[in-house]
Amino acid sequence: MQQVIIAKDLQYTYESGKRKIEALKGVDFSVKEGEIFGFIGPNGAGKTTTIKLLLGILNPQQGALSVFGQAPTDPKTRQTVGYMPEIADYYRYLTPKELLIMYGNIFGISKNVLHERIEKLLNLVDLEESSGRLMRTFSKGMMQKVSFAQALINDPDLLILDEPTSGLDPVSRKRTREVIQDLKEKGKTIFFSSHELSEVELISDRIGVLYKGELLDSGSAKDLLGGKEEGQSLESYFLKIIGEKR
Amino acid sequence: MKAIWAIAHGVIKELIRKKDFYVLLIFMLVLLGFLSYQTFFQIEGISRYVRDFGYSLVMLFSFIIAVTFTAKQIPSEIGARTIYPLLAKPLSRQKIILGKFLGGTMVSVISFTVFYLIFVGFYMTGGEGKSLVLLGQGFIFGILFLCMVSALVMFFSNFMTLSANITSTFLIYIAMGSVSEALKSNALFFKGIISGLYGFLYYLLPHFEFFDLRIRITHAWDALPLWVVFSVSGYTFLYCFVLLYFSGYVFGRKRF
Repeated sequence: MQQVIIAKDLQYTYESGKRKIEALKGVDFSVKEGEIFGFIGPNGAGKTTTIKLLLGILNPQQGALSVFGQAPTDPKTRQTVGYMPEIADYYRYLTPKELLIMYGNIFGISKNVLHERIEKLLNLVDLEESSGRLMRTFSKGMMQKVSFAQALINDPDLLILDEPTSGLDPVSRKRTREVIQDLKEKGKTIFFSSHELSEVELISDRIGVLYKGELLDSGSAKDLLGGKEEGQSLESYFLKIIGEKR
Repeated sequence: MKAIWAIAHGVIKELIRKKDFYVLLIFMLVLLGFLSYQTFFQIEGISRYVRDFGYSLVMLFSFIIAVTFTAKQIPSEIGARTIYPLLAKPLSRQKIILGKFLGGTMVSVISFTVFYLIFVGFYMTGGEGKSLVLLGQGFIFGILFLCMVSALVMFFSNFMTLSANITSTFLIYIAMGSVSEALKSNALFFKGIISGLYGFLYYLLPHFEFFDLRIRITHAWDALPLWVVFSVSGYTFLYCFVLLYFSGYVFGRKRF
């Protein structure tokens, strides 16, 4: 299978005056086509920086990063990538439908395809009844659903999700997980970060554990937990591995 | 172009759904209506006063909309964190700036058109001399003025907070009417470096006064010669191009 993401010795340092924060200290990982890759780590581990690099919002200061064999900054690469941010308070004076039309037009999607796709997406995230309502009246969970729908507007081959189930009720969480699994079955590649470790364990093919800018471990949940006491969860493994590093 | 227009379209939708424009519209109608009502009392020169005041209101209210809508475009994208999904889309950062500029300009031009039509209504019902050509020129100059204001505000939004941006633009708008002539005469009066400094400032600062046809429209003077209209248009395009070029450059290098 083709490698969709290849990151080699990825480094990034934030500088603010004399202060330097090493967000990534030489991270290596790859994600194969059709794979669900879960990225876990405590706050400040470098997950968001990695995502920004994958989206071409930041440029790697050292190392190499490619998405579909191209630089993430290349607009052609972005044409095939969908992104859902952790938090976004979408345009309060637009309706979800108008937001999706706006993003669809940015992708250059033709009118007929766009309208058909918007209908499907609003159905998918259970927002068809609120499609004409201004988003200023939306709850956090509804905003998350809009966010998920906008990430799929270009029918992306690679989906990058930052905390996709944050703020969702249990039913919507389950639904989101099912959609992610469906997308995988359709051959889409999914890279997502989450603090919900049980969820990561449940849906990821492989998991990467990031801590203070270093990738501590990566592999399938089975591999990560292999050889450990029976019944150990990803959460206890995570707490243990992070605890050892502190 | 489709992507730029898509961004601009969102800004226009916001204008239609927010109260800002309607409040200014009602305020203008009430003020102009009240002043026109005074003409029934045959107060001498009141219709000129209505024109003077009405034109100033049109320009001021359109300016307020141009500044407030354009100034918050980038900060609100950052504040609401919608900048990230936008940056992740297949469009350059320069196009985002152009889309936001176009949106801010369109919003102010739409408002200006409505305000100006109301003003024209009051102007045409007044008893004094009328010049349709001059009114047309006033309309063109108003649009050019708003383009320049939006470009300046967009440029400032790369360096300033929302409130600092609005305040600075207001100060420049107020100051340029009186400072411009002083800069020009000082550049001619002094010699050497000081003259150069005044000259530099004169060419650097935006000449909002170029677009002000208030006195001409109030007194129904002759229309401007075409070369003046073309020169002011050329000046606006050049000034906007430089401002937007640097806005795009700075925004393109910004770390989010």
